[in-house]
Amino acid sequence: MTKTTELIDALVASATPVRRLRPPLVRAMLWLAFAGLVLALVTVEHGLRADLMLRLHQPTFAISTAAALATGVLSAIAAFVISLPDRSRWWLVLPMPTLAAWISTIGYGCLTDWVSVGPEGVRFGEELRCFAIFVLTSVPLTLALAVMLRYAAMLRAGAVAMTGSLAIAAITATALSLFHDHDATAIILVWNLGTAALITGIAGLFGRRIFGWIATRMLWSNAHF
Amino acid sequence: MFARPSRRRSSLTLVASSVGAARVGGGERNGNRVRDWSGLMARAQEGDRHAYRALLEDMTPYLRALAARCLKAPGDIEDAVQDVLLTIHAVRHTYDPSRPFGPWLVAIANRRIIDRLRRQIRARSREIELSAEHETFLPDAANVHFEDTSADSATLHAAIAALPPDQRQAVSLLKLKEMSLKEAALASGRSVSALKVATHRAIKSLRKRLRQSSEEP
Repeated sequence: MTKTTELIDALVASATPVRRLRPPLVRAMLWLAFAGLVLALVTVEHGLRADLMLRLHQPTFAISTAAALATGVLSAIAAFVISLPDRSRWWLVLPMPTLAAWISTIGYGCLTDWVSVGPEGVRFGEELRCFAIFVLTSVPLTLALAVMLRYAAMLRAGAVAMTGSLAIAAITATALSLFHDHDATAIILVWNLGTAALITGIAGLFGRRIFGWIATRMLWSNAHF
Repeated sequence: MFARPSRRRSSLTLVASSVGAARVGGGERNGNRVRDWSGLMARAQEGDRHAYRALLEDMTPYLRALAARCLKAPGDIEDAVQDVLLTIHAVRHTYDPSRPFGPWLVAIANRRIIDRLRRQIRARSREIELSAEHETFLPDAANVHFEDTSADSATLHAAIAALPPDQRQAVSLLKLKEMSLKEAALASGRSVSALKVATHRAIKSLRKRLRQSSEEP
């Protein structure tokens, strides 16, 4: 076993200057700006849904989209703040009110619009397009967040991974509601909640491992965001 | 021994046996030396190795005491201290010198110590430590060998005694004395294949003989 004094010698020998992290709020804004860029690129590629303006006048849709977007922003801020060891865990509560609003509006919309789904059902092509938006939005956001928060592997891996995933899920859901012109609310409900549950579940199971994997490769380098 | 770290105060007072009264986050007076852990860390972040060494050496007794509250074995405590030091090294860029050092350090230390405790609890759930009883009965002298007097054993011994000499020798060396084929070949001066054949035949005839004896009334 290495003696503690030897370990200190080794650590001191490898103590190169490090760049301090920017304040968590600034870093959250950087990530959100990246998310905005991704959404803009998806808009260029897919175009907004045709009836977006019409739908935005419907209170349920407007509240649901706004709540999803707010959940994304607030949970991104919470993830960046709690990734620092000396910040309070109470920051986890920050996205909860908007999350509750988001989930309740989706549920309400589902109940009221259930009958209007229509007999034609869901077309396969529509689903594939929906899935493409989901992948195009969530994958780059996940990668960026995992790299930016890699040091959390040694601290609060689980909590940071869950909050970060909630941010990704909420922004992906916002993207889906902007681009996916399918009125089958049941499908949107499944997509929204399914996305959130899937990403959050994966994060809960593998968050520590994923962060650890990235951290072991990048933590010792000097390039910190 | 330690004042419980409080997040409400901007700095917290720690009393460690080897560092004396220490103020973490603010200035600290230890004999003639004045230590400011927050300042030391700020300099360490800029690459000042002397400051970094002073900080790590100053911190170690405090971390050891922190670990000793949860862990018992000295080896575990030292491992936990090293874990904390490694983590601090890896995440030292996350410290913001405008904030107090104490909560940052204690949060990292607690996380590592709790991780170690969890690992210990998991290991304990599937491992059994050797007790004094296990150690007492391990040496041969503590084990009493009773004479085997059961009827089955007597029948078996009689059956073995009735075997032809070469088969009896093979069974005795390979099965009763539990020698390997090589050892038995050396001890008896016979070839390995001869011993194999003799054992095979011996077991066959023993099986036949024992079956006969069990069928008899």
